[in-house]
Amino acid sequence: MPLENTSRPRLAAGCRWAGEGENRMVVFPEGALRLKDTARAVLERCDGHRTFEEIVQELEVAYNASDPTKIRHDAVALLERLQQKRLVDF
Amino acid sequence: MLDAPLALIAEITHRCPLHCVYCSNPLQMVLPTSELTTREWETVFEQGAKMGMLHVHLSGGEPLARGDLTQLVSFAHRCGLYTNLITSGIGWSERRWDELVAAGLDHIQLSFQDSREASANRIAGARAHTLKLGIASMIRGSRVAFTVNMVVHRHNVDHLKEMIALAESLQPERLEIAHVQYYGWAWKNVDALLPTREQVLESLETIAAAQKRLMGQIRIDAVVPDYYARFPKACMGGWGRRQLLIDPSGKALPCHAAAVIPGLQFENVRDRPLEWIWRESESFQNFRGESWMPEPCRSCDRRTEDFGGCRCQAFMITGDATSTDPVCSLAPAHGLVEQKLSQVNSMAENAAADKTSQAHPTQQEQFWVYRPQPR
Repeated sequence: MPLENTSRPRLAAGCRWAGEGENRMVVFPEGALRLKDTARAVLERCDGHRTFEEIVQELEVAYNASDPTKIRHDAVALLERLQQKRLVDF
Repeated sequence: MLDAPLALIAEITHRCPLHCVYCSNPLQMVLPTSELTTREWETVFEQGAKMGMLHVHLSGGEPLARGDLTQLVSFAHRCGLYTNLITSGIGWSERRWDELVAAGLDHIQLSFQDSREASANRIAGARAHTLKLGIASMIRGSRVAFTVNMVVHRHNVDHLKEMIALAESLQPERLEIAHVQYYGWAWKNVDALLPTREQVLESLETIAAAQKRLMGQIRIDAVVPDYYARFPKACMGGWGRRQLLIDPSGKALPCHAAAVIPGLQFENVRDRPLEWIWRESESFQNFRGESWMPEPCRSCDRRTEDFGGCRCQAFMITGDATSTDPVCSLAPAHGLVEQKLSQVNSMAENAAADKTSQAHPTQQEQFWVYRPQPR
């Protein structure tokens, strides 16, 4: 399923955040995922309320991005990959 | 520097209303009177979380056979552990389920023995199949992650497409298709359960096609049968490297089967702190690292990937736990595995040549042993 600007991504059933600071990660059946920098920032905004468009806009501001296309491109790749692993729904 | 284990497998009881012929429990099961108390399990979870463990897999036997299951889930959840319930569903009630969800259960893994009811009940030695179907719809109504677990072997693997279709109708996030691994009761029944080469190859094709077709809908994880592989599996991710199992009496083991290995002294969480058992105890150190390895493992490039394969399997097949896992095509004792496989495959060929033959490998139920209740 392709990610649309109006999609409202969120963590899939049984996937949640755990740990604090550097050790904060997403835990899910049989595994855990530690994300860095922007990848973490993307996923932390996937709350089922924000649209994908809103998430990207927030990131562009937060990271004062000189290359917004890259942020968007990376976020799409991340969320589609995590959807295929059934860690994210949209 | 030794890392903390990632996951704790808590075998909270060996009691089980099912009698599956491939059960991974040891032949010598723990009696109900020797089981850890609620408080003792809580202490284990507390210690595990402090060590940095992430997951606890509540397993058995049938975990629902313990009346304090909800309390255990709740406590593990409050320790910060990710809780997974591995169940047959027997002992279920709608109220109990609501309580488990409220207690913070993250993931449930429901096993099926076949897509066909009569066969499923025969393999489980109990009438359980229909009940499981009802439970699945209740699970799907929640936000708990849902894994359907299908265990396959010679007597049901020909129904694999049907089993996948059944799983699809139950709408889990994840489907685990596990070829039987030959430990515990499965090892006792290995001659009746081993699939033929043709069955295995066909199952791998079916799985690959389903993975492609269901991408984004159901994640399919497959456990392949190592008897037909060229190289052994990295059993448990290596001895004492990633996971730790506590049996119902509190004995700490590196895996489900390790108690079969003679001469190893396994410590009990009633007597020793979990961290000490993990780091210092002799049984966990015994096959950790590479110093125990014989040739050809010792000089093999794959030793950092498969860690020499499975110690229990090496012992069960060769009688020597320090030998290379005999499923490895490079193992000196590989002939023993090939011998077993050629028996199974020639039996199937003979049966195919003579359709009326009583020796047909799918008609061997009378030769298998059901897993009994611990007593």
